[in-house]
Amino acid sequence: MSGFSRVFISRSLTYVALRISGALLAFLALGHFFVTHISTDVADTGSSFVTKRWSSSLWVTWDTVLLASALVHAFAGLVVIVYDYITRETTKHRVLILLASLIFILFVIGLLTIIISVFKIYST
Amino acid sequence: MNSIQSIFLLLLTLSLTGILYFVFIVWKSALARDGGAFPSASRLSRLGRMPSERSEISRWAAYLHRITGVGIFAFLSLHIVDVAFFAFSLNAYDSLHSIYSTLPMRIFECGLLFALLFHATNGFRLIIVDLFDIGVIRSNVILKSVFFLSIVGTIAGSYVILQPVIS
Repeated sequence: MSGFSRVFISRSLTYVALRISGALLAFLALGHFFVTHISTDVADTGSSFVTKRWSSSLWVTWDTVLLASALVHAFAGLVVIVYDYITRETTKHRVLILLASLIFILFVIGLLTIIISVFKIYST
Repeated sequence: MNSIQSIFLLLLTLSLTGILYFVFIVWKSALARDGGAFPSASRLSRLGRMPSERSEISRWAAYLHRITGVGIFAFLSLHIVDVAFFAFSLNAYDSLHSIYSTLPMRIFECGLLFALLFHATNGFRLIIVDLFDIGVIRSNVILKSVFFLSIVGTIAGSYVILQPVIS
C-alpha cells in the first residue's frame, strides 16, 4: 500500500464518512433542490434570486456545508467503487489520485465562488 | 445560443455519456461476478420462491445506488462550474442559467430528482441495516417503501417542475 492509500483510504474512515455525510446530505441536498425547483420555479432562479439568497448567512452556510459534505461523500463513494471495479494496483492508485485532485479542484472553485460572490454582494 | 451555453450543453452530454459508460461497467461486472439479477432460466425459477426470500431486489438497489451516485456527482461537478460564473459576471450566469428552464433540461431535472430521492432514502435504509439487526425480510419491506417513496416523490415533483412548460 502506498502512503496515499494509507492516509486517505482507511476503510473504516471511508465507511463512517460516507454515512455521516450521507445523512447530512439527505437534508441539505434535497432542501437545496426543493428551494430551487419546487418552491421557486427554476426559471426564476437567475442571478437576482442567487443575490437574494446569498445575502442571508443561513443560505451561505447551507451551501458551503452542502459543497463540503457532497464532495466528501462523493470521494468516499468513488473510493468504494474504484476498489470494486479496478483490480490493478497501479491503475487503482492513479485513478484515486486523479479523482482526489478533481474533487479538490471542484472544492476550491466552489469555495472561491461563494467567497467572491458574498464579498461582491456585501460591497454593493 | 452563445458559446458558454454550447460548452455547458457539450459538458452535459459528456457527463450523460460518462454515466451510460458507468452503467455499462456495472452491468458487465454484474454479469461476470455477481451472478446478476437477469432473466436467465435459472433466475426465472427463483422467482417461484416467496417474494420476501428473493434477494435480487436488494442487488438491483445496490446497482441503482451506485449509478444514481455517480450520476449525481457528474451533475454536481457541472453545477459547481456553472455557478462559478455568478462570481464573475451576472449576465454570463443568467444566460447560462436560462438553459435550466428549457423543456429538455426540466426533464433532466426530474431524473435528477429521482436520483436524489432514491439515493437518499436507500441510503437511510443502508444506515438502518447497519445499525440495527433487522434481517433480510424487513430490509426488503423497507426497500419496497424506498422505491414507492422515490417514485411517488418523483411523480409529484415532476408535476411541479414540468407544469410551467406544459400549461
